[in-house]
Amino acid sequence: MSRLLSGNQAIAYAALEEGVALVTGYPGTPSTEALTEIEHLARRGEPSPYVEWSVNEKVAFELAAGAAWAGKRALVTMKMSGANVALDAIIGVAHSGVTGGLVVYVADDPGVEAGMPEQDSRLLAQLCGLPLLDPSDPAAAYRLTRYAFGLSERIGLPVLLRSVTSVAHARAPVDSTMRWRPLDRPAAFSRDISRYTKAGSLICLLQHRENLARLAKAEEAFRADGINTLTAGSVAGPGGFGVIGAGVVNAYLAEALAEREAAGQPVPAGLYLEAVLPLEEGKVRELLHSCRTVTVFEELEPVVEREVRSLATRLGWQGRILGKLDGVLPRVGRYTRREILAGLAALDAPAAAQGAAPWTVAAPEAPLARASTPSSNTPPSVMVKHPITFCAGCPHRGTYLALNRALKALKLPKEEVVVTGDIGCTILGMNAPISSCWTELAMGSSLGLAQGFQRAGLREPLVATIGDSTFFHAGIPALVNAVQHATPLVLIILDNGWTSMTGFQVNPGSDVGFQAAGSRRVSIEAVVRAMGVDFLERLDPFDQPAAIEVMKNAIQAAGVRVVIAQRECALTVARRVKERELYRIDAGICTFCRACLRETGCPALHMTRTGDKEHMAIDEGLCTGCGLCATCCKFDAIHEVEA
Amino acid sequence: MNILITGVGGQGTVTLGDLIAERAMGLGLPVSVYHSRGMAHRGGRVAGEIRIASRPGERLGPRLSPGGADVLVGMEIGETINSLPFLKEDGVALLIDYRYVPSEAALKKEAYPDLEKARELFSRRTPRVFSVVRPPAPVNLFALGCLAALLPGEMDPQGIFNPEGLEDTIRRHLKKNTEGNLEVFRKGYVHGRQG
Repeated sequence: MSRLLSGNQAIAYAALEEGVALVTGYPGTPSTEALTEIEHLARRGEPSPYVEWSVNEKVAFELAAGAAWAGKRALVTMKMSGANVALDAIIGVAHSGVTGGLVVYVADDPGVEAGMPEQDSRLLAQLCGLPLLDPSDPAAAYRLTRYAFGLSERIGLPVLLRSVTSVAHARAPVDSTMRWRPLDRPAAFSRDISRYTKAGSLICLLQHRENLARLAKAEEAFRADGINTLTAGSVAGPGGFGVIGAGVVNAYLAEALAEREAAGQPVPAGLYLEAVLPLEEGKVRELLHSCRTVTVFEELEPVVEREVRSLATRLGWQGRILGKLDGVLPRVGRYTRREILAGLAALDAPAAAQGAAPWTVAAPEAPLARASTPSSNTPPSVMVKHPITFCAGCPHRGTYLALNRALKALKLPKEEVVVTGDIGCTILGMNAPISSCWTELAMGSSLGLAQGFQRAGLREPLVATIGDSTFFHAGIPALVNAVQHATPLVLIILDNGWTSMTGFQVNPGSDVGFQAAGSRRVSIEAVVRAMGVDFLERLDPFDQPAAIEVMKNAIQAAGVRVVIAQRECALTVARRVKERELYRIDAGICTFCRACLRETGCPALHMTRTGDKEHMAIDEGLCTGCGLCATCCKFDAIHEVEA
Repeated sequence: MNILITGVGGQGTVTLGDLIAERAMGLGLPVSVYHSRGMAHRGGRVAGEIRIASRPGERLGPRLSPGGADVLVGMEIGETINSLPFLKEDGVALLIDYRYVPSEAALKKEAYPDLEKARELFSRRTPRVFSVVRPPAPVNLFALGCLAALLPGEMDPQGIFNPEGLEDTIRRHLKKNTEGNLEVFRKGYVHGRQG
């Protein structure tokens, strides 16, 4: 049955139909839902493979590799930043190879919808020596995921399944039974140190050669299986022109070329790559053979373009290749039909002007801007920003407020106290009015950076903030480092019990009631205590007087100090608990000083007017009754009321 | 047909987009739906891009390009204005009079655009600007009703926005409060008929 499925869902169901036995991952937009979908199946009690949110992507990958070494099929999911975390292990397995099908799903984010640097993970496939499939839409994501498992087993290599936000989050009709079809396959692993260890140069060189041989098999498989499509152009013979597309741009190319055809314009020959790496050289050769000009369309880095240019040089091909390296197409950001039209226009425009044949090549310096969209598509003069902020009732707001208030009480100017932030909701402490965090780099980096700042001689206190999931992911080794080297710092762990920013996944610290059946909770406090830190206290972000005292003590203490601010995510509470407390502002008492809003920035607070009087008010639909606004009011105008 | 729906979290933009997509899918047309909503809980922008091909078998890329939307449903004034470059000249703009003013802008007393400002900006681009003031809840179904009345036949030759067809889709996909939703949809239709 055809249903609207996202690219992520399509990947999940394809893996289930291919009999995947183990699915692991670490949440990260835009990859998250691929695992969530299978987790939901498991939690509903339906037949499903083993599924877990692992502590980080490297561990998730290692579990999947272990399963694949034992002959089972496995899927591991992550965003591009996570692929970097797992990279060391991925290269090792790429050189060892696998017996069971192993699909590594990595989602890139061209155009940066979710945050973190733009990264083209196709380059990681080249670095590791892995084949890479890059679907152009959800239906292709389904088809290629199903293909990937068998391919992995035939060639004996993990397969990188790469998608981009536009494919992962788009929804389109996909045909799937949406059921798990487990394979009847025993687990088996034989001892073979020449394959499964890296002990010695002979072993490593042998594995490298085998990796290259397996990659060659992948290219042969793409050809034999007809994964990539080659279409003839309307201009035959040596004067023809062609396009090469890879991944999501294939869909936009198809649209643009259909329009050209309808308008009676000449249509180029096309090579549409979905199995992108290793480059299927035979088909590229065929295309080059029929063309004098070829434009390569791909988002981000000129990966395919470089491969094609290199092949053309080896072949002694005399035509011209257009793409990013000559500035015709952009290397930054997401592509839509607009970039395709601009690239095609760069081919056409000078030809029309000179009355030459339509496939005559544009001057290489022709920039995208020349063929760009009409000026009326520039943004209007009035643009509005909706900065992201802590939700109403977010406990992190209370933790940062307590930090800011403690610094104030200790007469430490906020502008001079460096607070390193970390990945996840906790980084929203960088935005006004909290304005605490100075840096955000990578998972767990708040701790390493703070130690670097301390060793460089920046003034103390040096404060690092990190969420619970990020602490487990990469904060633990960094904290161990600070303890070992006795590097003084204050670490604030904002523990809301969930991996919230990606949509409320469990992590090792989540309450046992929310964990998968049979899983346990790992106590952050016990872990930190076992490291032997110099100071460890807990606080409740909504008990401000006590929380401020804890912060003051931590800042004034010596050595490695850790504060655990504990309170569950307001959104997960709201999902379970329907009754809630409310606060209300007495319009008669409110002096409209706006201290509540200025200090907390809570989205439930707004300015209003009763008669002639301007005053603050609380949106009862948003208020969760945390009471932080009341702690800002000098006039005692804010009180708890019966909901 | 390309439809862009914008707003802030909690306004039902996702449901609105999905209803339109389901209706088109029921007619056998290729569809693609893309919702940007990652930061919706945290006060961020929400946008739905619904693309519907005119014939079976046609391919669709997932995302809209500037100047590519035939229809814009703007559910929050600020985000509506931000989306202006995506509307085709002569496209249909449905502006809903709701403002979500970020607290920083409010504290600094920065000007935040209103419906009048939005109408002025959109009128320079298209004569087909329609607005809705104080619609009944749920706003998304009211907007859908408006669209059913507003889209001229030449823009919708497949009858995606045929009111009976949409009512059928609502019945099939909104199992909770179906009658209430239908009532609001019909009110929107009446509002749309009045222009």
